Amino acid sequence: MSTKQLGHRTVLDTLRQSGSLKCLFPRSPTPDLDAVLLNTAGGVTGGDSFRFSGKAAEGTALTLTTQACERAYKAQPDACGRIINHLTVEGQARLNWLPQETILFNGSALNRRLGIDMARTAEVLMVEPLIFGRTAMGETLTDIRLRDRIEIRCEGTPVFLDAIRFSGDWHGHLSRPHIANGAGAMALIVFASQSAEGHLDPIREMLPEAAGATLIQNDVLVIRVLAANSLILRRTLMPVLRRLNKDTLPRCWML
Amino acid sequence: MPTDADILTLTQWLSPAYPVGGFAYSHGLEAAIDAGAVTGSQDTEAWISDALEHGSGWNDALFLVSAYNALDQDDLIAIDAKARAICASSERKMETELLGQAFGTITGDVWDLDIRKYAYPVSVGHAAHLQGLPVLLTTKMYLQAFASSLVACATRLVPLGQTDSQRLIRDLTPLCAQIAEKAQMAGLEELSSTAFLTDIASMKHETQYSRIFRT
Repeated sequence: MSTKQLGHRTVLDTLRQSGSLKCLFPRSPTPDLDAVLLNTAGGVTGGDSFRFSGKAAEGTALTLTTQACERAYKAQPDACGRIINHLTVEGQARLNWLPQETILFNGSALNRRLGIDMARTAEVLMVEPLIFGRTAMGETLTDIRLRDRIEIRCEGTPVFLDAIRFSGDWHGHLSRPHIANGAGAMALIVFASQSAEGHLDPIREMLPEAAGATLIQNDVLVIRVLAANSLILRRTLMPVLRRLNKDTLPRCWML
Repeated sequence: MPTDADILTLTQWLSPAYPVGGFAYSHGLEAAIDAGAVTGSQDTEAWISDALEHGSGWNDALFLVSAYNALDQDDLIAIDAKARAICASSERKMETELLGQAFGTITGDVWDLDIRKYAYPVSVGHAAHLQGLPVLLTTKMYLQAFASSLVACATRLVPLGQTDSQRLIRDLTPLCAQIAEKAQMAGLEELSSTAFLTDIASMKHETQYSRIFRT
C-alpha cells in the first residue's frame, strides 16, 4: 500500500491485497491516514508466508497497526512461518508502525523481518511487542524457533539493527538472571526523528526497572522494555508511545 | 597453522598493554554491579558468559570474521555500518568506535597499514587480514581479551580476588574458543543478541551517578 497527499490530508494511493492479509481503513479523526492490518487466518503457523509492503510518500502521515494480537502457533518440526514487512518513508513523511503484541506459542517457529527505509527528513515511530507464551494458561516456551530482525536504514545506511536468533528452550534462556530474569514479555521501541533527543530524559523517568532508553544516533531513540506479562508491558508502553505520537494511539491500543 | 610470529603479533595487539584503552570500558557491567545484580564470582561469570555467547561477543566475532573476509572497501564500510547500528546503547557504540579508532591508528602507524576508522571488531578483522594473520586465532584471542577486560572490571568493582579473577578467565577461555569456531562458518545473517539485561544495563550506565568506567 502507499499514500499520497490530498490537500493537507493523507489518503490512500495504491493498495493491492491477496490471501489472508487484509487492510482496513477506519475513519481517522486527524488529517493522517490510519490503516489496520488484519490476518484473517487468525495466526501464523509453519509454511505460512505473510508479506506487507507500505510506503508513506513525501509529506504524508501514515499509522499502521493490527486488528488483533498476532499469534505464532505450534509448527511442524520442518516448517517455519514467515513474516516480511517492509516500510518506506519518504522526505517529510511520518510513519507509525504500531502493531499489537505478537504472542509466541510453545512449539512455534517464526522467521520475521522488519525493514524500514527512511529519508533523512522522515520520522518513524515503531514498536514490536513480543509475548512469550499464553501466560493465562501457564504456557512456557520450552521449545521454539525464533528469528526476528529489525533493520532501519536512513538514506541507505543502517542506523538501527536488532536481531534475535534462537532455537530451543526460550523459557530456560529468559530465566537466566542477566538475560531476562524470567520476563514473560518484551518490547522494542525505536523513534527516529530530529526531535528524538528531547524525549530521552522524560522517557527515562517513565520506565520501570527492567527497561532502558538510549540515543543510538543523534536522532534515533531506542527503548527496550522487559515485563512480567503483556498487561504490565502495555501499561509501560502506552504512555511512552503516546508521548512519541502527539498524545494519540490507535483505538485498538486502548486498554 | 599459525606461526610463532603470528601468535606473537596477536599477543601484542590484544594485550591490555596495547594502547587502545580497553581498561576504561565495562560494557554495562559496572551498572549491573551498581544495581546489585552482580555481587560475586559466580554472577560475574554468568554475566560475562551471557555477554559473550548471547550478546556482543558473538556479534563481534561475526563482524571480525566478515571484515577479515571482506571483498573490498565498500564491503568493509557496509559491515562497519552494521557493527555500529547493532550497538545496544550510545555508550556501547562509543566503546566500539573509540576502541576501533585507537586500534586502527596505532596498528596503522606501527605496521604501516591503511586502516580507516572502523568499529573495533571490524578494525581488528581488517588488520588481521592485511597482515595475513589466521582469522580463527584472531577471533579466539579477541574474545578472550574481551572477557579478560570485563573480568578486570569486576575485579575492581565487585571486588574479586586475583585468584578468582584468573580462574574466571581460565574458565571462560574454552567458551571464547567455541564461539570463535562457530563464527567462522557464519555470516551477518546470523547476528543475534538476546542478552537483554546486559543491554539494558549498558543503557542505564549512561545515567549512573557514580562511575569509574566510561561505559
